[in-house]
Amino acid sequence: MKKSLTVKFAAAFAVAALSLTGINATAANAAGGNKIYVLGGGDAFFAVVKNGFESAALSVKAGGDTPIWLGLQNYDNIGPDMVKLIQTAVAQGADAIALPIWDAAAEGPEIKKAVAKGIKVIAYNAGEPVMKKYGASAYIGTNEYTAGVKAGEYLASMGKKNAICVNDQPASANIKQRCDGLAKGEKNKGGKSTQLSLPATAFGNATAIANAVKGAITKDKTINAVFTISSADCDASVVGVKAAGSKAAIGSFDLSENILNRVKNGEQLVAVDQQGWLQGFLATSTAWQYAAYGILPATTTILTGPALITKANAATVIAGVKTGQR
Amino acid sequence: MAKAKDSSAPILALNDVSKVFGGYRALHDVSLNVYPGQVLCLLGDNGAGKSTLIKVLSGFHQPTSGTLEWEGEEANFKSPKDANDRGIATVHQFGGTFPLMTIGRSFFVGVEPTKGWGPFKRFNKKYANETAVREMQALGITRVTDGDRLIGSLSGGERQASAIARAVHFGAKVLILDEPTAALGVKEATHVLRIIMQAKLKGIAVILVTHNVTHALTVGDHFAVLIRGEKADDFKKGERTREQITDLMAGGEAMAELEEELNTLTGTINRVN
Amino acid sequence: MAGQTKSRFDFGTLLRRPEFGALIGTIVVFVFFSVAGGEPFTDLGGWAAWLNVASELGIIALPVALIMIAGDLDLSVGSTIAAGGVTMAVVSGFFDVPTPIGVVAGLAFGALIGFINGIIIVRTNLPSFVVTLATQFAVFGLVLGLCKLITGTVAVNVKADEGVKAIFGTLLFGNFETAIVIWAVLALLVAWILIKTKYGNWIYAIGGDMVSAKATGIPVNKVRVWLFVGSGTASALVGVIQASLYDSAQVSGGASFVFNSIIAVVVGGVLLTGGYGSVVGVILGTMTFAIVSQGIFFTGWDSDWASLILGGLLLVAVLTNNTFRRLAFSSGKKKG
Repeated sequence: MKKSLTVKFAAAFAVAALSLTGINATAANAAGGNKIYVLGGGDAFFAVVKNGFESAALSVKAGGDTPIWLGLQNYDNIGPDMVKLIQTAVAQGADAIALPIWDAAAEGPEIKKAVAKGIKVIAYNAGEPVMKKYGASAYIGTNEYTAGVKAGEYLASMGKKNAICVNDQPASANIKQRCDGLAKGEKNKGGKSTQLSLPATAFGNATAIANAVKGAITKDKTINAVFTISSADCDASVVGVKAAGSKAAIGSFDLSENILNRVKNGEQLVAVDQQGWLQGFLATSTAWQYAAYGILPATTTILTGPALITKANAATVIAGVKTGQR
Repeated sequence: MAKAKDSSAPILALNDVSKVFGGYRALHDVSLNVYPGQVLCLLGDNGAGKSTLIKVLSGFHQPTSGTLEWEGEEANFKSPKDANDRGIATVHQFGGTFPLMTIGRSFFVGVEPTKGWGPFKRFNKKYANETAVREMQALGITRVTDGDRLIGSLSGGERQASAIARAVHFGAKVLILDEPTAALGVKEATHVLRIIMQAKLKGIAVILVTHNVTHALTVGDHFAVLIRGEKADDFKKGERTREQITDLMAGGEAMAELEEELNTLTGTINRVN
Repeated sequence: MAGQTKSRFDFGTLLRRPEFGALIGTIVVFVFFSVAGGEPFTDLGGWAAWLNVASELGIIALPVALIMIAGDLDLSVGSTIAAGGVTMAVVSGFFDVPTPIGVVAGLAFGALIGFINGIIIVRTNLPSFVVTLATQFAVFGLVLGLCKLITGTVAVNVKADEGVKAIFGTLLFGNFETAIVIWAVLALLVAWILIKTKYGNWIYAIGGDMVSAKATGIPVNKVRVWLFVGSGTASALVGVIQASLYDSAQVSGGASFVFNSIIAVVVGGVLLTGGYGSVVGVILGTMTFAIVSQGIFFTGWDSDWASLILGGLLLVAVLTNNTFRRLAFSSGKKKG
């Protein structure tokens, strides 16, 4: 414990106060050296990304530079909110910005402006297809579509050729790619996958998700695989599948302790990992190295995923999840 | 109690009461006596201070200076509940103030009758409905027979009646009626005036706030005219003519109009009676 | 209606019951999805699918209805759900304290949030809309900050022990959540309070006219604070139920309940402006919402249209309801 308890609580209250503005700034904006801004989200996945950021931040600080995390509190207004975060980083004199390009139309022009000012921009997590267009220097992350394809092919190869892709954020282009990829992968191997779009009234409500899954697989009894786009939805879908009395296989994007335990115990077939920790760590250190020393990796795209986690490798991954590295 | 019945002594008195809001003087040295079994009419144009005076009498406001006397002793109404507990009931322009509640329920708000014991103590709906309907019928509202009806479905006059019936039932000694006839048609208004007379005959001191001189003259025993927060005149029945009062209130404006309305009304009353 | 006595069945009176419109709405959507969804929707599993969703929503909608009848709003139920579930998961999942203690801690946190809401509202006289909107954000931030500080993540796993699981997180007959039983018990309790106790009368009076209610001596502020404690505790209870059922709790959970609970209550005939509403109506409104939001998945239609169908059917339900409520407000039985 490096920080005292008082400091921890003070920080927690500061976070609570800042949450009203929708923006969450963690590190202090100290003077001197390069300012490395990392922009991200606020869900379970980004908690792991931020752990990666924090590990890289130690090196950044040791180099005399300043790492700063700016996080969204929610994804309700993702484009404009990201624009605000970029503007904040630019206004505060960022030397480098690492960020996910979720909404290219909104974020793109702001990224161009930042690049024009000489700020080094690294895309991570999302934005691979558009990153060059807006002047970002590298992309670190997974390819959602490729990840979906790989998962789809795996399902089909295991004999699960009729899948549904449970999507509680049907309006997000990024997430849709996962389901599109899954459908493509199934198709490649002679199977099929349809997307189950959940209305906004079900968001964050596990019971609504569980019973929607149950409804879909009761209606069409030939469905033999249920894939979810996030770890929380997966916990809910497992209950839905059980209640429907179905033997459908479970698969999910992203990881959690519950998911890994299920994979290890054979209750879940597969999980697709994109290694959030590694994304946070690499995005931060790449942005920093580029801004401070002008060094870029040799390839402009570094893929941290997809990595399929099955019964064979689940046990080794579990240790990492417990400590926030996976 | 004996004192309250004695109509020669005021049940409620104001001595040089002033009320100042910020820098604005809403009431200026007003003195009034309210007698049991009499109707005191508070007359005045809009903004003359009638509402402020009622709020002082019903405990919503405390006077800035001056004193209140209740049954001959100096008193300080700390809250509306305090005034209510002493027996001062206020009925507003729209009568029953809970339009979406049933007649029976709204009749007993705050003093719910219960039956049963301990955790099974429950609202006695039958008693509430029967009592409310009975008391309203006693005031001549025979059209109302179902205590489950919503207050909002009653006519304006019936709503006034339900509120007055409530006050009478709970033994109000002073009944303050704030513009009870303002929103009513002529026929409904005469009905409410008749109910006011019934309350008076029960020995209740009625304070009738109105800017309708005709209604005031029909039922009033005692009159006070407020102009810009001051008591401009104070007189007994028969001491002033209608013209004198209207002149005082409105400076003679709208006289002809009033006269006409007045004739219609007296005509109606004669026919009803 | 002349000549009819009170004791006899009277169709006119039934029509004027405030719940009648809500009942029609529920029947209409149920028939609609029975036809569109066929047997999977009408069999036991189908009933469970929407009853499960209805029960959790209903546990929150009932106290929220009381608050709305009293003329206030509670927009903080969303983050309070997360607060209840995450507290239980942190206490019992992360620190391994026995689950009953985690449950009590979760519920107590919810009650505290409600209490703070109530106290701020009655002390400052600010509209409850603004105050609870602020606490919705503040509590979310507090839970997020503390949860990440303590556990390093925003989704905490918890394995409820057998007793807790049996009460909160079991599927009866493999289908029905125990929450349905909890909902039924809560409905009886709330109905008793509203119809049979003086507190019910007070709640209606406060929503009808707060100033007059105060004048009759009702402890208005106390009642309002208690109502918020009620909805805070009930929201935390749903968080606990979901954590027990799905073995995990998320900081982001529950957000959709804020609007869902208001929709259910309004579809059930409670006036947004307060002073009017009934428990039966709220139950029917909750069912209507749950049937519509889950029924879509039994139709086999392209689920991309789910939100559109949901919005359309809810509008129809509210319109039906309003038409019949206008009948209730039109003068009731008149003497022949």
